[in-house]
Amino acid sequence: MEILVEEKEGYHTVTPVGEVDIYTVPLFRKVILKVEGDLKRGVILDLSRMSFVDSSGIGAIIETYQKITSKNCVIVFVLDNPRILKIFKLVGLDRVFKIFPNLGQALQSIGVSRGYIDEEFFSETT
Amino acid sequence: MSSKDVREYRLSIDFPCSKKSLLRARCKTLEFARKHGFSQEADDIALAAEEALKNVLQHACPADNKMHLEMSAKGDVLMVEVSDTGRGFDLEAYECAPHSPYDLCGRGIQIMRGLMDKVSIVSDADGTVVKMEKRRKTKKEDIRKQASG
Repeated sequence: MEILVEEKEGYHTVTPVGEVDIYTVPLFRKVILKVEGDLKRGVILDLSRMSFVDSSGIGAIIETYQKITSKNCVIVFVLDNPRILKIFKLVGLDRVFKIFPNLGQALQSIGVSRGYIDEEFFSETT
Repeated sequence: MSSKDVREYRLSIDFPCSKKSLLRARCKTLEFARKHGFSQEADDIALAAEEALKNVLQHACPADNKMHLEMSAKGDVLMVEVSDTGRGFDLEAYECAPHSPYDLCGRGIQIMRGLMDKVSIVSDADGTVVKMEKRRKTKKEDIRKQASG
């Protein structure tokens, strides 16, 4: 797994690419810790490129949600993979997370101006 | 494998209790499920099996350091059994404990139950046995499910 991070208008977009599971959770936590240290307005956790998640990954995502909201910052999610959405629904996360089907809608929901282009957006690899 | 095929196919593997084994078990489960006609549901079966094995790894501490995975397919039904000889756990206490979407752990059983058609768990001081069952959906059921969203 690799994790892409970009900041715009005080919001960090964090995009895990690949599997978020018992193997990769340590890297995910490390990146979130770094983002947390530099937190301004909030985080967009873009899970549209996450191919697999297990209960360890779910736990790390909830931990991220709690860390960000405890600092009175915003966190929204991008997720459109039906298989992963099904798992989120199973554990009730669809009721507590603000989930958008694409990045554009997530950005719009928090008032970030448009103009993101995917290739540019996913430019930093951690 | 056709649903008219009533032969029983079995696969039985002992894995050492390690993170590496989880990935190997996921691959083996996926392969077995796909070989027996499960397509999209194969991913669900593999995740459910991995969650059961992850519980062994994280909580059971078996003296022989082994976790056992057994799969069988007969007709349109696939069974997965994960067992260990570890210290077991109090299933009743787990069932009675309040669960919130904000909990950081304790979701493995919830995921297994959500993804599989039947899940039974027996646990005592001699170990734990998790039995799960998934029935292959017919094309008609698949279409109906997709239509209902």
